[in-house]
Amino acid sequence: MSSFLIGALINLNHPDHYFQWHIFDISAANAIVIILMLATFIGALLLPFPGRRRRKENQ
Amino acid sequence: MSKKAFRPDVDAPEWKGGHSPYDIIKEGSIAIAVVLILTLILAVVFGSPDDPAITLKSWSTTAPVDFATTALSELNGTSGTATYGAPYNSQNSSASQQLGPLKLEYWIGVHIPINTAKVFVINPLKALPGQPALDKDLAVFQNASASAKTAWLNNYTKAAANMKFLNNQVVVNASDAGPVPLMINDLTQMARSGALDEALLTGDSFYTTDYTDSLLFISDGSYLGQVAQADHLTGSQWGMMNETGSWPGQAWLWLYTFWYQVSPMNSSSNGDVEVLAIMLLLTVGLTLMPFIPGLRSIPRKSKVYRIIWREHYQNQTKD
Repeated sequence: MSSFLIGALINLNHPDHYFQWHIFDISAANAIVIILMLATFIGALLLPFPGRRRRKENQ
Repeated sequence: MSKKAFRPDVDAPEWKGGHSPYDIIKEGSIAIAVVLILTLILAVVFGSPDDPAITLKSWSTTAPVDFATTALSELNGTSGTATYGAPYNSQNSSASQQLGPLKLEYWIGVHIPINTAKVFVINPLKALPGQPALDKDLAVFQNASASAKTAWLNNYTKAAANMKFLNNQVVVNASDAGPVPLMINDLTQMARSGALDEALLTGDSFYTTDYTDSLLFISDGSYLGQVAQADHLTGSQWGMMNETGSWPGQAWLWLYTFWYQVSPMNSSSNGDVEVLAIMLLLTVGLTLMPFIPGLRSIPRKSKVYRIIWREHYQNQTKD
């Protein structure tokens, strides 16, 4: 029961997949994190500021 | 008095437009709350890596021959730590890493002195209680002449190429090896019981959290390297940015570990200090970016700010 309570919903305790190209070698997990970081950055650039519509209506 | 010309990346123009209120405390609080919630959700869904630490006990239990061979190299002074030079011992300066003519490790000197034979083998064995045969052999070894010790160690080292571990004993068919076989076997038994971890952990301070000796001993063997290789954690595998299992690792260390993959750092005996120097140089460049002409113009010339404040610039165009 205790192991169920402290266990994660998704088990990542197994060997990862690695992408290799020339000298580059990256794990799938790191690639996903980097893609998410880039997506967050692009989102921060392109998505409208929260509350912009409300400010416009007040103007 | 003449008016100075406006310098685009140095001078800030006076803002003549309107102002809007901005609550940085509110935004900061929301950001902290979002990060906290995300952290809790990710911890529940994915958990975190919790591999058991590699100890002298686990190493000597899993790979006793590797442990005993490494113990021998500590005793005969051929291990990685024994021949490392500064900061562990006073080997010749060429054993230490240097940056061009700068012998950095050698200049800093021996500030963690380790005599591997004494610290890793003889002292822990001396600490074993109730071992009269071992005590006698240790006294014989320590009181022997340098030439006798060398002869015993050489004879044992030659025979140790065919070392086996049978019936919980280190088996080496060595002749005229003096007390060395008993010392290596007893140290292996000590490690397998967990007592060697305790013996090497004991320090001068109240809290014994200094693992330097154990870690150096473990890293001298090949077992740690094999485990690291299997987990994709070695330097040549971009290991600095990896984690055990399938969890993401320290992706932000990509640039640091990148330099270890390219020539000459990937084959240099001074690789660590060379990579450190490159990263220091890049960090200084980043810190001084506002003062470096050309580099400091990148934000203005790339015009990324116009994407962020596109509404403002659209309105400006309309006006």
